[in-house]
Amino acid sequence: MSLLLVWLAEVVVFALVAAGILAERPAALAATGATIVLAGALVRFLAPLRMGLAAGFARHHAAALAGGATLALVLPLTLRASPYWTFVATLALLYVTIGQGLNLQIGTAGVINLAGAAFAGLGGYSVGLLTVTAGWPAWLAVLVAPWIAVTVGAVLFVPILKTRGHYLALVTIAFGFIFNILMNNLEFTGGPQGLKNIPTLRLFGWAFTSKPALAGLELPAHANFYYAALLVAGITTWALRRLHDSWLGLALNTLRDDEIAARCCGVSLTRGKLVAFSIGNFFIGLGGALYAVMVGFVSPPDFDFGYSLVMLSVVIIGGVDSIPGVVLGACLLVPLPERFRFLHEFRLLLYGVAIVVMLLYRPRGLWPAAVRRYR
Amino acid sequence: MPPLELLLQQALNGVMLGVMYALIAVGFTLFFGVLDVIHFSHGDIFMLGAFAGLSTLLGLAAAGVRAPVAALPLAFVAAILVTGLVGVLAERVCVKPLARSSPLMTLLATLSLGLVIREAVLIFYPRGADPKPFPQLLPQGGFEVAGVSVRYENLVILGIGVGAMLLVDLIINRTKMGAAIRAVAQDPEAAQMMGVNLDRTVDATFFLGSGLAAVGGILSGLYYSEIHFIMGITGGVIGFSSAAIGGLGNVYGAILGGLLFGVLQTTAAALIPRGSEFRDVVAFAVVMLFLIVRPRGILGEKSVERV
Repeated sequence: MSLLLVWLAEVVVFALVAAGILAERPAALAATGATIVLAGALVRFLAPLRMGLAAGFARHHAAALAGGATLALVLPLTLRASPYWTFVATLALLYVTIGQGLNLQIGTAGVINLAGAAFAGLGGYSVGLLTVTAGWPAWLAVLVAPWIAVTVGAVLFVPILKTRGHYLALVTIAFGFIFNILMNNLEFTGGPQGLKNIPTLRLFGWAFTSKPALAGLELPAHANFYYAALLVAGITTWALRRLHDSWLGLALNTLRDDEIAARCCGVSLTRGKLVAFSIGNFFIGLGGALYAVMVGFVSPPDFDFGYSLVMLSVVIIGGVDSIPGVVLGACLLVPLPERFRFLHEFRLLLYGVAIVVMLLYRPRGLWPAAVRRYR
Repeated sequence: MPPLELLLQQALNGVMLGVMYALIAVGFTLFFGVLDVIHFSHGDIFMLGAFAGLSTLLGLAAAGVRAPVAALPLAFVAAILVTGLVGVLAERVCVKPLARSSPLMTLLATLSLGLVIREAVLIFYPRGADPKPFPQLLPQGGFEVAGVSVRYENLVILGIGVGAMLLVDLIINRTKMGAAIRAVAQDPEAAQMMGVNLDRTVDATFFLGSGLAAVGGILSGLYYSEIHFIMGITGGVIGFSSAAIGGLGNVYGAILGGLLFGVLQTTAAALIPRGSEFRDVVAFAVVMLFLIVRPRGILGEKSVERV
């Protein structure tokens, strides 16, 4: 019974999201918005429903995940009329990967990184240089690029270990600016135009630009990347969940909360921050690399400070140190501004206002990190 | 090796830039002193000051007041009032309510507020996306000393900047409010026990710091003869860097840091090939290296951590 309730809830959420995306006319959009508010209010104020849902999700954890995964697989079918929204959904999944990496650094280990876009850019530009300039196949470049982000990130280790708090924030901001100025002015990175004509992914003879067809239903070409990004986001989330729940995650948490106490208990500051920063940069770079093969070009404005801000807000609005929170944050913060494109120039203004309001009223994020429990 | 005159010239230009950076950096360091936060929208408040000054000048010109002696002081007063009030509002809305929670919250909140200010100028200022020409109000021309050309315009800018900083120094060291600011910076609780009104002191600090940024904004407009709505991003990061090199919380450190950053930029521009493009890379890299050696800045206090 409660299993059915869980699945029903997931299908309802899925239907509302799909309707919210596909609603074209203002009336339809308003109706969907009203239904979403109504559904939220029902769950919020009907105590039996809320308790039932909470109990159901707690008991049928695996089934709920399976249901969510199935719906994620089905999503491109509902969006098949719109390549654009398939692209946005893929982008949201890339932000899940990037957000999980950044969350390991900021949320779990307390290493403030305000250069997320620069590390994603390192991944993206590496793919561009390896494929366009060096002529590598795209899949190999995507596999190698994250390691370049990790390696370049290593340059920052010394200042990161030496500085604390706001000074650390400055070090990463400065790094982000240096990256952007260099990309804008160096010749081999194409300057302000960036690198164009990055070849698309090709796996086992299947080019990612060809349209996949499932049982007679043709999907937009971006669906290839959707499934690739879904796989990567799933693996990343699973791996970082395991890491977070492991002894290493616990050690990183103690480093974040009290460095001196952690060191007294035998946690190595250097090793902890190094591991967290490198693993985080790996996934951020991977997200950037996939972005590069998806859109086919990279240029400096794609990786400027504004995007570091978006990545940071995914982590903080979702819930600092909360693995499911990052998924929620990415799936809200990336598509929502696209949905509100009809607001034109007021979009970014309202985005900023929304972030401030969320911080004031939900300071622990939409899905706060659960207290660790050990049995 | 470039000739000595060129280096001297670049040093002078660096000091010019440095004065403007210092005006921004002092705000960062004052806010850090009283609330232990970095107010990341401060760069955009600097930009807002420039636009408020420009609007006042244009309004005065439309009303027939064109004499620089009358128009400029009015522009300064108006810009200081506008940014001061916006600064206090920013502090009330999204700095103080979050100051007690994790620094990450203030970080994101003030960065987002900066975005809001920037977008608001872009949308509501007529044709806000274009760079705006700033009227040339200062005497043109100049003279030459030891191969270094000095422009009258720059001397006035330098004079106003140094004057503003001396004034702030006087306020902080000689007035009752200044004493309150210093007391809160040292220990907020003890200050309150001595009868200092914490909220009012914090408000005053934000008014003072933001007003100073407005002075910097107008000076920057006069210096470059142009302002743009995105100037706050770089301005803010450079101001923060300057405050950090000097040591957060120390006003003299911030001034020193600003001057150092300016000289660093112009020297790098003179010494390396394609220097004008890569000068910021050099400057930021030096800041990072510097923080390795002195993680708390030049004049930053040495802190002892206790468990």
